[in-house]
Amino acid sequence: MIGWPRIGWKGRLSLTSWILGTITLVFLAYQWLPIFTLGLLSFSGPTGGTTFPMNGTSFHWYEELWRATVMNDFKPPLVRSSLLALACSATTIVLSVMAAQAMRGQFRGNGWFFYLMLLGIMAPGILVGFGFAIMMRLMGVELSWDTTTFLVQVSWTLPFGFLTMLAVFNRFDKKVEEAALTLGASRLTAFRRITLPLVLPGVIGAGLFGFSLSYDEYARSMFTTGPDATLPLAVMAQLDRQLTPEIYAVGTTTTFFSLIAVLFFTLAFWAMRRSTSLKKSSSA
Amino acid sequence: MSTIRIRSPASYWLAVPAAAWMLGVVVVPIVLLVWVSFWGGRAFSTASPLTFDNYAKFFANQTYLKLALSTIVHTATLMAVTGVLGYCIAYFLVMKVKSPGWRTVLFLAFIVPFWTSTLIRAIAWVPFLGVNGVINQTLMFVGATNSPIEAFLYSLTGITMAQVSLYTMMAAGPVVYMLNAVAPQLREAAMTLKATPLVVFRRITFPLTLPGVVIGQVLVFLNVMSDFATVATIGGNKHALLSNLVLLFYEGSQIRAASVVAVLLMICMLVGVVVALRVVDIRRLGVER
Amino acid sequence: MDALAHDPVEGAAAPAMARPQLDLELINIRKRYGDFTAVDGVSLKVSKGQFVCLLGPSGCGKTTTLRCIAGLEEPDDGDILIGGKEATRDPPWQRDIAMMFQDFALFPHMTVAKQVGFGLEMLKKPKAEIAQRVQHILKSFEIDVLADRKPGSLSGGQRQRVALARAMITEPRILLLDEPIGALDYSLRETVMLELKLLQQRTGISFIWVTHDQNEAFSLGDLVVVMNHARIEQQGPPEEILQRPATAFVAGFVQGNNVFRGRVKELLAGMLRIETPAGTFLVPRALAAPPPMLGSEVSFSVRAELITDAVFERHVNRLSAVCTAVEYFGAVRRHVFERSDGEVLKYDQFGAHAARIVPGQQTVLGWPAEASVLHAGAGG
Repeated sequence: MIGWPRIGWKGRLSLTSWILGTITLVFLAYQWLPIFTLGLLSFSGPTGGTTFPMNGTSFHWYEELWRATVMNDFKPPLVRSSLLALACSATTIVLSVMAAQAMRGQFRGNGWFFYLMLLGIMAPGILVGFGFAIMMRLMGVELSWDTTTFLVQVSWTLPFGFLTMLAVFNRFDKKVEEAALTLGASRLTAFRRITLPLVLPGVIGAGLFGFSLSYDEYARSMFTTGPDATLPLAVMAQLDRQLTPEIYAVGTTTTFFSLIAVLFFTLAFWAMRRSTSLKKSSSA
Repeated sequence: MSTIRIRSPASYWLAVPAAAWMLGVVVVPIVLLVWVSFWGGRAFSTASPLTFDNYAKFFANQTYLKLALSTIVHTATLMAVTGVLGYCIAYFLVMKVKSPGWRTVLFLAFIVPFWTSTLIRAIAWVPFLGVNGVINQTLMFVGATNSPIEAFLYSLTGITMAQVSLYTMMAAGPVVYMLNAVAPQLREAAMTLKATPLVVFRRITFPLTLPGVVIGQVLVFLNVMSDFATVATIGGNKHALLSNLVLLFYEGSQIRAASVVAVLLMICMLVGVVVALRVVDIRRLGVER
Repeated sequence: MDALAHDPVEGAAAPAMARPQLDLELINIRKRYGDFTAVDGVSLKVSKGQFVCLLGPSGCGKTTTLRCIAGLEEPDDGDILIGGKEATRDPPWQRDIAMMFQDFALFPHMTVAKQVGFGLEMLKKPKAEIAQRVQHILKSFEIDVLADRKPGSLSGGQRQRVALARAMITEPRILLLDEPIGALDYSLRETVMLELKLLQQRTGISFIWVTHDQNEAFSLGDLVVVMNHARIEQQGPPEEILQRPATAFVAGFVQGNNVFRGRVKELLAGMLRIETPAGTFLVPRALAAPPPMLGSEVSFSVRAELITDAVFERHVNRLSAVCTAVEYFGAVRRHVFERSDGEVLKYDQFGAHAARIVPGQQTVLGWPAEASVLHAGAGG
């Protein structure tokens, strides 16, 4: 009598599960297939076009990528994008930690401040980029990737970092700060020695946003880089020229770099989380 | 008590850098755009007289108006498709996947693409949609059709297909969050009150997740309205939506015209967001009187 | 010897009110979660209009059993009959039950009136009837002023009433309650307990009440079911559980018992002489049952108020112990002793009597043989 699974009402609900599950998995494929295809096609043979058949497999297009020509050099844009991303990451971290800590202080007008931050997420890139470029033009400031683009990119990444830090501080148990203060630490010391190490995972998350969002940003950068392109802009420029699988090689490479960066930040995040966790280690 | 005193000067000043940055880089430029859209005269300077001419020129043009309309229709389509798809996926992930291990894996599988460039993901659709693209080749291979369907690349259909893959998770995310917040006891209580699962969804689960649905829709709305890259990549030169128009004018040095379109875009978006916030308010979490 | 009269159920001549219908019958319910057995062979019979309390420590399976009755969990094995009808595979919305959840599970987006009427809506009752019955039940629970409020603005006590009204309005055969007053303030609990007891008696609905609190269980239940480790240790009226605990666990779980474990040293007529680390004691045994073997491990208990320090001849069971603490509760004075085997011994004295023992004092305590209760299940 024991053992046979009996199909009760919960089992009969599985029809919904099947339908929804199929939709989910089909969409998963729908989301990933293009990326895989991109990667696959980047290994096309030298005579391959921008779609199947591939005409053999080779590293030809990666070699093309590496061989810089006047028109098609992606290396400087890569360098610029990486530097910008690092700069945005660092700036986002500093500003968002400050801003989130400020919110904890519930200063007057912090509701407006919050909406101001949200505005950065909701305002479309083209509008911000366009408007900022006009402003620079009227002010006589020259557009350049390391100045004006940096400024607009931070306006995009900062709100994300800010929201991340807000969420982290919300979950943060401020009793440990109180303990530090009662033990004689000044507010600054307590923040530096107690709070910061504990919210480090969130800080890393903010840094990840800063890096990733800046690296892939194109709408704002488009208007503000001046003559020197960042990687996404170089890709967009290439699209206007003849399409070859080289663009897939670029796409695959840059995606690869993005994922490496994400992986790096995530590992750092988990490492921080574990070292500051109060849970007993299982190998006690 | 904490490391920051409530309402202290320190808390105010800590916020100043971020506030200044956002004000200077986002708010002022947007206000500037509005101002510029009213500039008359020939010279491009701050001394220009203010006029409605730019707007008049825009609204007089049938092509532009049709463009605006098709942008709105296109966005609405996207919102509907991603809304339904996103809810199905969110519901499956939160309610139907029992093992936390699998749930994490699936979440990651959906989230990871977001850490890559949307531009690249849009480009990745090109080999799919063309006359010789993957979709057509598969359809012909399977025998579903004899000649390639041209309607994919360089068409709104193709753009929609790509954008669905790009933005559905934006619609799903907030729903996931709200679904998680619905305590299982609420659904169980409804079941003990003679409600069948379908009724439980309609009367309990869905109303409680409504704010998530609305927020997701707003995110999709904002993103689709301002997405010029996908339209340009997949639509080629044959299609343009409002956002592309801004670029078109900008590249043609018609700054005033560009700012008119920019302002119109902004107004659309503002209206959308305000309507959404109203809906969430009035519904008051899907209240039943 | 009319054959028909002996004919079981099918017989046309069987009298109309043959046997009182059981509101609920659980037959050997088993439920596993992977390796963990949550409910192991639980059988229960609940008569019409009975107040049943499932009592036990956390993780004993009482809540899982309740959820199986509700239909929220499906047992791997066993049968559930509600009102005599097989309901094991029925989903919750088809069972003649209603449930009150621990945190009340009120629908946050519905007004009180709307959600109290929800069950009737599901039963497709006409709007006018729903409105009228909602009004009636809200009035009888004294919450009619709250009809248009939403749960967020209600106090704990008010929420509890709304949850109750919502459940009772469908006039179920059985009401299942999962630790229903745990979320209330202490001062409110007594009042609510009494109200619920009276409600149950008035409506004649069977209540199945899950709790880990003995006071609740023993003051409310007609039938108390003590559970531990997925099994029923003992079920019966409160007095039976309190006076004659059937196992060492029940004796230890229920307040006011002193538990002894030892070996059978001698079999006497109607008695056992049991040797324990704390001493040797006489314990009566039921003559109907077969006697335990000599040397086998047994346990027994004696209630704290049946012990005395004024030891006379008839108090054949005696031991000497040192008093470690004296607690005064008004109605009772509890002395805590340390036995020679290191265990705690409790001796309760009627509060009105003068205190005779002080901490640190070594005393001899005793009790008559018939005060000892032998536990079933050898080996404790």
